[in-house]
Parts: sequence; C-alpha cells; structure tokens
Amino acid sequence: MAFSSIKFLPICVLFGVLALSLLVGLANRRNFRGGYGIDGRPMGHPGIGAAIASNWMSAASFLGIAGVFFVQGYFAFAYILGWTGGYVLLLVLMGGQLRRFGKYTAPDFVEARFESSGARICSAAITILISLIYCVAQYKGIGLIFAWILGVDYTGALIFGAVVVMSYLIIGGALGAKKNPQLHYLLLIFSFVIPLMFVAKKLGYSWLVPQFSYGSALRDLPPQMAEQYLFPWTFGTPYQWIALSVTLMVGTAGLPHVLSRFYTVSNNRDARWGVVWGLFFIGLLYWSAPAFGAFAKTWQARTGTELDPEQARAVADLIIVKAGEWVGIPDFLVALLAVGGILAAFSTVTGLLVTGAGAFAYDIYFRLINPRASEKHLVKVAKGVTLIMALLIVVVAANPPGLIAEITAVAFALAGNTLFPVFLLGIWWDRTNSHGVIAGMIVGIILTFLPVLFGHLLPVAFISWLPPTSSALIGAPLVILVIIVVSLFTPPPSEAVRRFLVEKVHSP
Amino acid sequence: MQQPQNKYEPEQNLQINFFKPRPGFMRREVTVICLTLFAWATVSIGFPFCLGLTATDPTALVETGKSLFGMPLHYWFSGHFLIFWFILICFIFNLLIDWLTKSYRKRH
Repeated sequence: MAFSSIKFLPICVLFGVLALSLLVGLANRRNFRGGYGIDGRPMGHPGIGAAIASNWMSAASFLGIAGVFFVQGYFAFAYILGWTGGYVLLLVLMGGQLRRFGKYTAPDFVEARFESSGARICSAAITILISLIYCVAQYKGIGLIFAWILGVDYTGALIFGAVVVMSYLIIGGALGAKKNPQLHYLLLIFSFVIPLMFVAKKLGYSWLVPQFSYGSALRDLPPQMAEQYLFPWTFGTPYQWIALSVTLMVGTAGLPHVLSRFYTVSNNRDARWGVVWGLFFIGLLYWSAPAFGAFAKTWQARTGTELDPEQARAVADLIIVKAGEWVGIPDFLVALLAVGGILAAFSTVTGLLVTGAGAFAYDIYFRLINPRASEKHLVKVAKGVTLIMALLIVVVAANPPGLIAEITAVAFALAGNTLFPVFLLGIWWDRTNSHGVIAGMIVGIILTFLPVLFGHLLPVAFISWLPPTSSALIGAPLVILVIIVVSLFTPPPSEAVRRFLVEKVHSP
Repeated sequence: MQQPQNKYEPEQNLQINFFKPRPGFMRREVTVICLTLFAWATVSIGFPFCLGLTATDPTALVETGKSLFGMPLHYWFSGHFLIFWFILICFIFNLLIDWLTKSYRKRH
C-alpha cells in the first residue's frame, strides 16, 4: 500500500519522542530498578499498574483492536474480552505461586520444576516462536505507519522501519538507557484518547466521553450497515467468539513476557495489586479503541465512501490514523496517533527480540551446542540472533498473513496450547513430570500450527472447530489431558521438587 | 526439661492437587480461587452463550434493541461492563488473599 506524500510533522514528532525517550532512559539508568521509581523508592500500586499496562500495550492493542472493529464490528470484543480476562486467570491461578517459585523466565521455571534440560529447550523454542510471531504483527504496524509517514510503498517502509528499530535497540543498548514505563504509558494513552475526543467532536458526538458516544454513532449508520454492526453474529458464530476469547485468555496467562512482570516488583502483594491497576489502565485503552472503528464507519457512511471488504481489510490496521485524517482533526493530533502506534510497536519489538535472542543464546546454544561458551561469547551470539530474528520477521511481515490482531492471536494460541498447561499443571499437580510436559508441548505446537500452515488442506469442519487464531479452546484442554496421561505412565518427579511445591509454593 | 516439638518437622504427605487441596492455607486459597473463577467464567463465557441463544434477528435488534448509556445493551456489556467486572473480581480476590495470608501468618 502506498500513500501520497511525505509528512514532515509526524517525522519531527516521531524522532523528537524517540530522542526524548532515550534521554529519559539515560537520566534514569543509574537509579532504575524494576518495581522502583526514578528515585529508587518503591513506586506504589498505580505505578506498578502503569508499568504492566505499558509492557502490555503493543501495536495489537493500539492499532489492531480498532482495525478489527472497523472490519468485524462486535466480533472485536472477543479480542478485548480475551486480552483483559486473561489477567484474571493469570492473577488467580498462577501469579502468586509462580512468584513464590522464584524463577524468572519460562525456561528457568520449566527446568527447575521438571528437572529436565529437554523440557527447558522445548520451552525456550516455544518462547522464541512466540516472540517471532508477535513481532511479525508489530512489524506490520511499523511498516504501515512508516509507509503513511514517508509516502512510500509498504515493503520499503517495512525495511526502513526495521532499520530504525535495530538502530534504536543498538543505541539504547549501547547507552544502557532503560525506558521509564510510567512515562511510556502516559504518552501512549494521551496520544490515543485526545485525538479520539477531537474525532468525536468533529463528527458532532459527545467529545467528553467518546467511549460512550460511539454507541450513538453506530445507531446513526444507514439501516443495512447498522444491522451488520449491531447484530453480534454477522462476522462470526458464538462458538468462534467464545473460542477466540478463551484462546486469548489462556494465552495471556501463558505469555512469558507478561508473566515476568510478576517478578519485577518488590513483593507478591504489590504484584497482585499492580495487576488490578494494570487492568484499569489497559481498560482505558480498550474502552476507547472500538470508538475509532465506529467513527471511521460513520464518516464513510456520511460521505458515501464505503469500502468493499477487501479494501476495508487493507486499511483496517491503520484505521485510527485514517479516521483522524478523514474526519479532519488537526495534523498534529494525527501525527500523535501515528507516533503512539510506532512507540507501542517499538517497545514491544525491542523487548521481544531481546527475550527471544536470550532464550536462544542461553537456553539452546549454551545447553545444546556449546556448553563451554563464555559469557562474552553468549552475548555475541544473542546479538547475532537478534539480527537474524529481525530479518526473518521482515521476510514474513512483507506479506502479512492477516490483520495485526489476528497474527498476534496466533502467538496467544501457541502460548495457550503449550506454556499455559505447563505452568498450570506444574504448579497445581505435583505428579506432573518432564515426559508429560515435553509430550504436551509437542502436541500443543502441532495443534497450533496445523490450522495455520495446513488449514487449506484440512476439511472445512476441522478448521471451523480449530480456527488458526482460536485453537486453544480445544487445544489447551487436550494438551492438559496429554500431560496428565503421559505423566501417570512415567515415573513421578523427585521428592525435592514436590517438597518445594508443598513448603514454598503453596504456603503463604 | 522437655524439648519443644519442632513445628517445621519434614512433611510426609507431598501431594499437591487443585481438586484435593491440602488442609489449611491451600484449601482456603483454592476456595477463593474457585469463587473468583466462577465469577469470571459465568459472565465472560455465559454472556456470549446467552447472547447466542437470544440475539437471532438483526432487524429487531436495530429497531427495538435495548440501550444503556446511549450504547446498544450488548455493546455496553461486552465493551464496558466486562472490563469493569474483571477489575472488580481481581480487587475482591486480592482483598480475600490479603486477609487469608495475614490471618494464616499470624497463626503460624
């Protein structure tokens, strides 16, 4: 997709904000510790919540939800429901126990709990796959926004965006600049909600609470379009809705970079209360996101510029920026939306690339290929892998297989089909052993990628029960069953691990 | 003089099972978890299920559908209320676990 011309205002805002973010990171680098504020003192539950929300808000939340709403109306709420309800599962079933277990990454937990390098390597491979898929979605967002800003075609913009991401990562890494998550959250939420208020005002709806006034906008659509949008099952059946939201929920509870947030605060209680605030801050974005899609539809209906479904899908992931542009809000605010989208994608991509490369260097390379490697050598391997991952992602993102939210959902399906059952049973059933979880993770990988890669070869009935974005409703229980059966037929874990579960993990 | 009994005597029963929680802290914690999961599941899965059974006529939904705060009712429920509901149940869960942890630690 090519856009008409280069836009200088967004370029200035973007590079200004990126430079500011590096500067703030630099100012904080000596004092910053996870869970602590700029001056090194504990930052309180709202501060932890803002850090959780800033870690969570990616291009899928910032650009994706509004895009899905624009194309599929009510069906988009399955994404919102999944990406918020998952935090309940995480908090209730795993947060406290995993923290008491005291291992900070998925491979660390898996090895300590199941005492198996094989299981560790398997979980590291899954962590890398999740990072890769998640990043493809983020890169699509980066490519689309750069294409819009620079007025070039999507592929060129994608490559340019990838170079900017890597430069940002290298400069930030070289300077040791850690970002300030609270400032990042504030930047994102203001750059989303303020332009939305202007869009609502411009269209004549209540600007004070656009989160409510988009309801009136939907009712004002022409009857046929209103029917499409108000009827909940125009774009998906109730089964597909429930399957998608459950997949995203269990995926959220199994995502390694979400779980790791539980360890970066000073104690368990702060982590739990941080989740409540985090959910509120994430909610502020999700309460608002559908409004962009609804207002964009309203504008199209008013001006008679409705797009056919294919065109709508092509523009959907950029709909927040397009809505601002179409409706005619000030250029500065449109630029703010674009920059917010880039920031959300950047922070997620840099975090995931580092996580994925770390998992390869320390959990696969060191354990499997070169156990004698020095720390310095491992850092070099991690840097090389970061570059390879980035290239791989660009290749896949050049022909994006779906909407941003849909691609991200596949990463959630993978987490939900593999790591969620492993964490769940690892914590709540002492009999779970390494054979069980290795078998379970392999079955989970197959169940996730079968519909994604071979969907066109499989019977329609099979795909309708196991859609690529929503495979964990059936997949997760199946994997849980596989783990239980295989564990029961193989020797139990050691007494030391079971004692640790009893005395440390399930005690207050 | 009689030596006080060591209260940290190694535990013999090492069974951990969500469906057969150990007496004491774990049993109470699992009760709180089950209540929270019930509140989570009935609303988040029960609502679309009920909507699937009741919302069958698109035209009627546009003409006579109910509204709340200017939003179509099912939009308000999914888009606004559910997030609020999740925050609320996490809030109550935390209160209960705080209370449970505190009372258990006092006793031991």
